[in-house]
Amino acid sequence: MQLDLKTIEALAPDQASLGAAAKLTKRSNWPRLEMNEQLGLIWGECQGSGSNPYRVVFDTGDHGYKCTCPSRKFPCKHILGLMWIGATAPASFDRVDQTPEWVNDWLGRRRKPGQQSAPTAASPEGKSIDEASRPGQSAPVEDAAAVERREAAQRKRAEDTRSAVSAALDELDQWIADQLRLGLAGFVDACSERCRRIAARLVDLKATALAGRIDELPARLMALRSEEKPDAAIRELGKLVLLAKAWRAMPNDAELKRLVSTSETREQVLANPQAVQVESDWEVLGEKIETRRDGLVSHATWLLDLVSSTPRFAVLLDFFPASAGRRSGAFAPGDRFKARLVFYPSRNPLRALVAERLGDVSPGTWPDFTLDVAGDPLAAYAAFQDDAPWLADCPVILPRGAIALDEKDGAWWQAANDPHGIALPVAGSVSQTLLGLDLAATAALWNGARLELLASQSSIGRLDLS
Amino acid sequence: MNELEQAGLARLRDGWISGGAMFELAPVEWKEVAAASSPDEQERRLLAIAAQALDVALRPAVPKTLKRRPPLPVLALPMLPDRLRPLLRAALKHAADARRKALVVKLVASRGFVTHPMDWMPAATDQTAPDVYAPWVDWQASAEQGPHEKLSAENWADSYPAARRVALAALRRSEPAVARRLIETKAPAESAETRLSLVELIRIGLGPDDTPFLKSLAADRSGKVRELAGRMLAMLGEHGEGGPDVPVAELAGFIEEGKAGFIRRRTTFGPAKTKSHVQEQRRAELFELSNLVDLAARFGVTEADFITGWQFGTDNNADVHLARMVVASGSDGAVVHMADTLIAAGGKTALLVLHLMPRLDTGRQRVLIRQILKDAQFPAALGQAQGIDAGWLDWDDLSNGRFLAVLRNGISAKEDPARRTAEEIVETVGYLATATAAARFIDEVVAAGLPPASPSLGLLRLNAALAENPSQSDR
Repeated sequence: MQLDLKTIEALAPDQASLGAAAKLTKRSNWPRLEMNEQLGLIWGECQGSGSNPYRVVFDTGDHGYKCTCPSRKFPCKHILGLMWIGATAPASFDRVDQTPEWVNDWLGRRRKPGQQSAPTAASPEGKSIDEASRPGQSAPVEDAAAVERREAAQRKRAEDTRSAVSAALDELDQWIADQLRLGLAGFVDACSERCRRIAARLVDLKATALAGRIDELPARLMALRSEEKPDAAIRELGKLVLLAKAWRAMPNDAELKRLVSTSETREQVLANPQAVQVESDWEVLGEKIETRRDGLVSHATWLLDLVSSTPRFAVLLDFFPASAGRRSGAFAPGDRFKARLVFYPSRNPLRALVAERLGDVSPGTWPDFTLDVAGDPLAAYAAFQDDAPWLADCPVILPRGAIALDEKDGAWWQAANDPHGIALPVAGSVSQTLLGLDLAATAALWNGARLELLASQSSIGRLDLS
Repeated sequence: MNELEQAGLARLRDGWISGGAMFELAPVEWKEVAAASSPDEQERRLLAIAAQALDVALRPAVPKTLKRRPPLPVLALPMLPDRLRPLLRAALKHAADARRKALVVKLVASRGFVTHPMDWMPAATDQTAPDVYAPWVDWQASAEQGPHEKLSAENWADSYPAARRVALAALRRSEPAVARRLIETKAPAESAETRLSLVELIRIGLGPDDTPFLKSLAADRSGKVRELAGRMLAMLGEHGEGGPDVPVAELAGFIEEGKAGFIRRRTTFGPAKTKSHVQEQRRAELFELSNLVDLAARFGVTEADFITGWQFGTDNNADVHLARMVVASGSDGAVVHMADTLIAAGGKTALLVLHLMPRLDTGRQRVLIRQILKDAQFPAALGQAQGIDAGWLDWDDLSNGRFLAVLRNGISAKEDPARRTAEEIVETVGYLATATAAARFIDEVVAAGLPPASPSLGLLRLNAALAENPSQSDR
């Protein structure tokens, strides 16, 4: 396995990429660095600005590469950083015989080496490893007056935003009242157009997150049968009313701000002393990838705490432009790892960041949560709604059960030997194979109308259902 | 939520659907909570309460009947250990079509494992899956038949055409006469295309009892249906509308009889030169319609004598047609005789045995594969062999001859087609090799220049990882 700095210099798209890559050569940025000498591959996970670390792989044989980051530079700084470590500190890589599945996936998808254009013998003109290695110039020191001016400007911006959002919520209230007056039958029929209009107004008035949620409302309704749509519209619009009221009462509440206007940055969450931190073993339950109407793709990775005695979940949420093309996830369903997660402050902490990855965990079953088969499988959802009635999706662990079909071939999760006849409708279609399996426990998202299955434990082991 | 609140919620819901102010229709307790100075605000507050009631207090109405499938049968072999499933999935992903995927599955079964059903599941119509999967094929078929487990003239219209065809195929397997009568009754009312697909099902379990029905199709309105019935009659030793001797007599016209040898004169048979593409096509049809035994009898010789006398190598197309005819209608003895004759001839002619593979015993199959490897003239032919056992080719077989040298040249070739051919050979060896040979072969082809991460090595890596004798912990 041979890597030299000249190759990196030649492959780098520009000097800025080399500079950025130089900053990523610290070992602490890479929770995982591995190599398979037989295959000539090096790969790693680099903690970037997203919730998930980026997965980076480089083929030292033909200089093929892949990174899960949304950068449009090829190769990106993460690839260059990985190569750089490979060239200068190969001992940092753990030698392994097996490649992870995400590497196998990439190998299976990539173009054949014969069809691939040979690595360009690009002239390193204008790009220099030496220059990139030099420590950056320190930023000029601000004087006290400048600091005060900057902070005053920040305060003014925050006040302007708050006024704008308040106006946005006034418009939203009026819009909801209009929908009730005009009738929900008409709203359901013209939902797409009406939601688009109010969402655009909310964006103008800086209630960006709320606009995104309303933009997704038509898709949520479309997924339901026509007789269910009015109830779903009442639920969704009612939650918006509650959210608007909550924000007016507590405009500085971090959770409400996140749901109405904008989210904190990764750095702000990590620096927040009130953010809940949990160090535990986690299993990736599944992924939910949705292309939104605003052109963004939301990528949610749901995790289950394998140590907690009651079901505890986390979701790593990333957004990237749909135009950036298909991205593979940072984790694959079924992956298990030890990590310290930092949760975004919330009444029901769910959204989290991986603060520190502490190694892999061996495969196994889920903890025995002693779920009550005869009880209400949605008891956790009711408690969740008590705390934050404006939220829609809630992760649940369902007790022993099976998937059955109704007369229209719609899938339902049904509790095993259930005396109360409890059954919950499942979103979308399910694999025929699943219909023949007993599910010892099932992880799913409940949105008030449908279950979105994530994973199950069964007699034949773990089942990926997302 | 009490009954009054439920009734109130229903009134609000109905009112909001059509539109207007509904405050007066709300339950008394809700009105107290929602009271406000503005009518719009009152409605919004009611909406929030209703939303919570719908979310928390009500559950989706469960349908009266929910159908559960029978449990997925447990197969006779253990499932592939989790640690090997990524390799399996990689090999399946790279397998371009159902035939190649079937090879992956056969290799796994040959090492004593079955796949996880979420990784690979045979289709209801799968006839190539290893026998161990039969319970899953039946389980799948029972699902596709749906509620009407047994198709009948009465419920014929209840199913969509594809589901009906699957049900009919299942019926043909279990009760061929009932299925035939059903086709006989229902096919005349269908379009020509549908009739053709229905009559095609008679191939399943084709037997002498089907003869009268097939003969009756000589009067069908569609030429394609008549032709199909004629072919099936030929398989049964019967002949269609033209009478029993017509195809063989016509085919004999395309074959020249001659003599060879100075001391021991013997009779030879060879293809007459065709004058046009139309003649070539007709000859192909006649080979398909005729039986070997009838053709040999036409020339007054036995099947074996006819094969011995055939001049292989004169016309490749005619050789292929003959091989197909032998495998379709020849006796077991004739098939073996032809295989031995071709293998003894060696060279390109021996490759014709590939057409006979499905009816050859394991020993003869392996002899042919070894010969292809040793000659190394046409290593790409390996990929055409079908119905061969997995995982028996050892390192001596691979290294005995010029095979590895030829393969190395292919891998390092500059031309894409040559490289692609080499990769296909590597993939085929991934299926045929023993685990030990697979591991050594990987080193060999990587040293020859195949990228170590090439997906073409997927099946070899799975093969090498599948121990010949899996440990108890893997079972």
